[in-house]
Amino acid sequence: MTYSIIGRCGRTGRLGLGITTFSLAVGGRCEGIAAGIGVCKTQAFPNRTNDPLGIKLLAEGFVPARIMEMFAANDSEHDYRQIAIMDRDGRIAAHTGAGTRGWSGHQIDADCVAFGNGLVGPQVLAGLIAGFKTRPDDALEYRLMRAIEGGRDAGGQGNATTHKPERSAAIKVVDRLDYPDIDVRVDVHPTAVAELRRVLEEFKLYEEFYRERGRNPSKAIPQDVFVANLNASRA
Amino acid sequence: MTFTLVARCPKSGQIGIGIATYSIGVGLYCNGLRANVGATMTQAFVNQGNNTLALRLLAQGFAPARVLDELAANDPDFAYRQIAVIDRDGRTVAYSGPKTRGWSGHKIGDGYVAMGNVLAGPKVVDAIAQAYEVHAGESFERRLLRAIEAGRDAGGQVGNDGHLTERSAGIFVYGAYDHAELDLRVDLHDKAIDELHRAFEEYELYRGYYRDRGKNPRDAVPQDVFVAGLKQHQEAAQ
Repeated sequence: MTYSIIGRCGRTGRLGLGITTFSLAVGGRCEGIAAGIGVCKTQAFPNRTNDPLGIKLLAEGFVPARIMEMFAANDSEHDYRQIAIMDRDGRIAAHTGAGTRGWSGHQIDADCVAFGNGLVGPQVLAGLIAGFKTRPDDALEYRLMRAIEGGRDAGGQGNATTHKPERSAAIKVVDRLDYPDIDVRVDVHPTAVAELRRVLEEFKLYEEFYRERGRNPSKAIPQDVFVANLNASRA
Repeated sequence: MTFTLVARCPKSGQIGIGIATYSIGVGLYCNGLRANVGATMTQAFVNQGNNTLALRLLAQGFAPARVLDELAANDPDFAYRQIAVIDRDGRTVAYSGPKTRGWSGHKIGDGYVAMGNVLAGPKVVDAIAQAYEVHAGESFERRLLRAIEAGRDAGGQVGNDGHLTERSAGIFVYGAYDHAELDLRVDLHDKAIDELHRAFEEYELYRGYYRDRGKNPRDAVPQDVFVAGLKQHQEAAQ
C-alpha cells in the first residue's frame, strides 16, 4: 500500500519522485534517483536491489522499456513488484505485478507516471496526475507535493470499508548536480502528507540560505540571525 | 551548528552516521556513505560536492588522509568546512576548519570521528565518543543513536543567544549493499533527537518484516495483519 509519482519538469529537465505510504520511513528506500540519468522506484513487495541496478542500467544507456525486461528476467518474484522507470528524456516504463495486493495499477502521462497499490481505486492515480498537472509552471517539488495531496484527497490507501493512513512520505528532486536539490522526509507520523507539506514549506524558506552559506561562507550570516530575521518578517 | 558521529563498526564492517543539528532537513547532506568504500561527511559551511567527490576518490583507492588533502586543494573556502573521512578499513581523518563557528572540533577514535561546531564545548564531542565506546555491546545503529543523545545531554549546540535545539537529525547505516540498511530521519521538529528515538524504536519493530516481505513476497502477511499482531503482542506485554 503506497502511492507514488515520478515526474519531470519539461522546462528545466529536473527529475523527481514523490511518495507516501502506510509503511514507515519510505524515504529511506528511495535511492533510485540520479541527476542527468533518471528515476527508478520499486514498491509493493520491493526488490531492494532493483533501483540501484536500474540507475546503473540507465547510465549505461538502456531505455526504460529494456530495463523493465531485464528486471523481469533477473527476479523470480517480479510478479510481486510494482516498478516505474523514467529516463532523463521523460521516457517511461511501468509494471504492476499480478501479485501486488489490493487495487493496484499505474497511469502514464506526459512527463509523469503515477503508480500505487493497496489503493481505494483508480481515482487515486487520477488524483496524482491531476495534482501534478495543476500548475505546470511551478517548481517540480511543488508539483510532486500537489500530486501526493491529490492522491490522498482521492481516497488514498484502503478499500471500501477501511482507510489506511499515510505514515511516511518523501519528495526528492535532482537537477544537474550529483546530490539532490530537494530531499524532504517524514518518517513516522499519523498524517504524513500534511506533515510533509509543512516540512517542504519550511525548508523552502531556508533553501537559498543553506545553498549560499556553503558556496560563499565568508559572506554568510549565522543561522540564528537568519531565523530571527525570518521570524520578524512573519510577525 | 551540528554534531555528528561518523563510524565504521569493526565487528560488522558496517559504516554509519548519526547526526543532529539546528538546521532543518540535515539528511539532505548525508550522502557520503557507500558500501565497501567508506563514509564521509562535510558540515559547518557545507561544500555539497565534497561527499560525492570523496567517495569517488576512496573508491579509486586513495587513503583518507590523501582524500582530505585533495578536498583542501579543491576548495578556496576549505577553512570553513568540517570534514570526516573513514575508509572501509576504518582508517580515519578529520578536519575542523579555523573559520567554522563557535566551539568547533573533533575527536578521533578507533574507527570513528566525533565532530561538531557551534557547540557547548569539547565535552560534547567527548560525550559522543564515550557513549559510542561504552555501548560497544549494542547494535551499531543503536550506538549511533546513543552517541548523538549523549552529545545533546552534554550541552549540544550553543549560539549567540544560548542553547540551540536540534531541529533535524538522522541515522544512516550501510552494510554490504548499495542501498541503505537503515536510513531514518527527522527533518523538522523542535526536539529532533527525541523524535528520532521514537521513530527508531518504532521502525525497529518493522525492519525485519520490511526486509523479508521484499525477499519472500509469497510468504508475506499483509502489513495490517502484521500491525495487528504487533499491537496484540504489545498489549500482552503490558
